[in-house]
Amino acid sequence: MRSLLLAVLAAYLIAAIHSILAFVNKRRSLQRVAQWSTLVGFILHTTVLIADWVIDGHYPLFFLRETLSFLAWALVALYSVVLYRYRAQALGAFTMPLISVLTFIALIINSDSGNAPAAFSTTWLFPIHTTLLIFAYAAFFIVFIASVMYLLQERELKLKTFSAIFYRLPSLSTVNELATAAGGIGLTLLTLGIVTGMIWSLALYGRVWRNDPKEIFALLTWMLYFVLTIYRTTASWRGRRAAWLGVIGFALVLCTFFGARLLPGYHVFG
Amino acid sequence: MSILLIGVNHKTAPVEIRERLAFNDEACSDGLRRLVDGDVVREGLIVSTCNRVEILSATANDQLEFGAGRLTQFLDTTGHLPAGFLEKHLYRHTDENAVRHLFRVASSLDSMVVGEPQVLGQVRHAYALAVQAGTAGRIINRLVHHTFRVAKRVRSETGIAANAVSISYMAVELGKKIFDSLKGCTVMLIGAGDMAELSARHLVNAGATRVIIANRTEEAARQIAQEFGGTALPLDYLDQGLAEADVVICSTGASNYVLTEAQVRAARERRRNRPMCFIDISVPRNIDPAVSNIPNVFLFDIDDLESVISSNIREREREAERAELIVQSEVMQFQQTLRLMDVGPSIGAMREKFQDVARAELARQRKRLGPLSKDQETAIESLLFSIVNKISHPVMNQMRRFYETGEPDAAQDPQDPFGLED
Repeated sequence: MRSLLLAVLAAYLIAAIHSILAFVNKRRSLQRVAQWSTLVGFILHTTVLIADWVIDGHYPLFFLRETLSFLAWALVALYSVVLYRYRAQALGAFTMPLISVLTFIALIINSDSGNAPAAFSTTWLFPIHTTLLIFAYAAFFIVFIASVMYLLQERELKLKTFSAIFYRLPSLSTVNELATAAGGIGLTLLTLGIVTGMIWSLALYGRVWRNDPKEIFALLTWMLYFVLTIYRTTASWRGRRAAWLGVIGFALVLCTFFGARLLPGYHVFG
Repeated sequence: MSILLIGVNHKTAPVEIRERLAFNDEACSDGLRRLVDGDVVREGLIVSTCNRVEILSATANDQLEFGAGRLTQFLDTTGHLPAGFLEKHLYRHTDENAVRHLFRVASSLDSMVVGEPQVLGQVRHAYALAVQAGTAGRIINRLVHHTFRVAKRVRSETGIAANAVSISYMAVELGKKIFDSLKGCTVMLIGAGDMAELSARHLVNAGATRVIIANRTEEAARQIAQEFGGTALPLDYLDQGLAEADVVICSTGASNYVLTEAQVRAARERRRNRPMCFIDISVPRNIDPAVSNIPNVFLFDIDDLESVISSNIREREREAERAELIVQSEVMQFQQTLRLMDVGPSIGAMREKFQDVARAELARQRKRLGPLSKDQETAIESLLFSIVNKISHPVMNQMRRFYETGEPDAAQDPQDPFGLED
C-alpha cells in the first residue's frame, strides 16, 4: 500500500501547492486544480485505509503511522465539508500543507512490529473510540485555524493597517461561525469518544477511570471546549476572546495527542 | 487590413478639449456613418467617455496614412477646431499598438483611477452603437470580443479592482469584512452629509436592508429616510437606534463627540456582543476614539480610511503590472487570430476555385462516359474532388503557416510546397 500512499501524498502536495498559489494569486483556476487533486487524493487515501484494514486484519488506527495517515484523511474530509459549506478557500492554504506533512511522516516511519494485540482487533469499541477522537482532533484543528484567522484580521482592523493577507482571508463573521460550528462538532465527538473509551475500559478492566495522563489531558481539553461552546452559544463571548480560547485549546489538544505519549500510561497511540 | 486608433484622453488633453470632442449616442451613430465610407475607412467604432474620445477603425493596409488623416480631420470637424490644433493632444496607434491600447483601456489600465469598473461598460456601449450603425465589421467584431475577454481575464486574475479606493466604498468593504454579507444589515447615518448618503447608497446596493437616519434637523432626516425607505430618528433618541445598527456612518458638523464610549458600550451590550462598525468621516471627529478599545467594535476615522485607500491604490498599481503581462500575451494572441483571418477567406476561395475547375471538366467529359449509375456518378465526382483537395492541400497548408508565423508576403509566393527539392 506504500506506493498508493505515495500517490496520495503526491495528490495532496499538488493540492497544497495550488492552494497556496491560489491564496497568493487569487486565481480560480489554481483553486480548481487544488480541489480536484484533493478529491483524487481523498479517494485514493480511502482506498489505502480500506486495503490496510483488510490486509492487516485490524482497524488501521493503531500504530503511529496509521494514526497519522488516518488523521490526515479525517482532516481532508472536514476541510472538504468546510469548503463546501463556507466557501472558505483560504483554509486550504493552511490545512493542505499540514495534511501533506502528516501523510509524508506516515509514509516514512515504519512503526509496525507484528500485529496489534488481540484486545484491539476483537472489540468493536476500538474503531469507534479512536475514529471519534481523531475526528474531534481534526475539528479542533479547524477551530484553531479559524481562530488564528479571526485574530489576525481583528488585529489589523483595530490597527487600521491592512496587509496583503487581510484581503485573502474569509470575513470575520465567517471564521467566527466556522469556529463555533467546528467547536460544537469537536466537543460532541470528544464527548462520545471519551464515553466509548470509558465503556471499553469498564469492559476490559472493570474501571471507568484510570488516571492515565492521556485521560487527564482529554478531560482538561473537554472542559475547555465545553466552556468555549457554552460561552459562544450564550453569546457573552464572541470574537476575540473566544478565538484566543480556540488557540489555547488546540495547544491542549496537541498535549493530549502527543504529550501523553511521552508520559507513562496504558494508552497506546490513537 | 490595418487597425488604426486615434484619440485623446485625460492625460493628453485638458477637459476643455475633451468636452468639445465628446459624442453623445446620436452624434456617435451619425459620425460613424459619415466616417466609414467602405473605401479608406472600412470599419469604425467611437469610444466617448468623460475621460477619453477615441476612434478605432480598420483601413486598407496601403491607406494607413490617408486613413489617419481622415480620422484627424473628422475629429477636427466634430470639435469645430482649426486643422492641426489637435496635433499635440492626439495619440495615434496602429495595428499591434492599437490593439494593446484598446485592451488596456477596457481593462481599466489606462483610467484615471486604475481598475475602475465603468470603462468596460462604456466600451460595450460604444460597440453596441457601432453595431447599430453597421460600422462594426469583421475586424472590429473580432477585436472587441477579444477585448471583452481580456478585460474579464484581467479582472478575475489580478486584484486590479479588488480593494476600495474611495471613502464611500470603503464602508462597504469594511462591512463585508466584518459581517461577510451585508444582507440583512442595518445602517445608521448620524448627520446627513453627501458623503454619508453616498456611503449608505453603496451599502444598500450591497444588500443592507434597513437605514436609520439620525439628524439634528428632523426635516433633512425625513427626506433622506424617504429616499432609502428608512426611518428618521431625532438625535435625542440616538441610543435606541444605535443598538440595532451594524454599520454606523457619522458625519455631523458638531464640534464635540456625538458618540461616547459609554454609549457604544451600552449599545453593544444590548446587541449581545455582536460586532459593530463605526465610520467617522467628520472633521473634527464626532466619535470618541476610545470607542476603538471596546472589543468587537471597529472604529475608523477619516485619516484611517485615507491611509487604507492610499495603500489600496498602491496595491492596485502593483496588480496593474501583472495585468500588463496578461494584456501583452493577449495582444500577441490576437495578432495571430488576425493573421489567420486574413488568410482564411483566400484559402476558402482558392479551394472553391479548384473545385469549380474539377466540376467544369467533369461536365465537359460527361457525355463521353455514357450512361452511369448514381453510384458511379458520385464515385467520379468524389474522385475528382479528392484529387483536387489532395494536390492543393500542401500549398494551402504552407500559406496558412506563413500567415501564422507572420510572413504574409512569403505566402503570396509559394516555394516548393510539395517538397520536390529534397
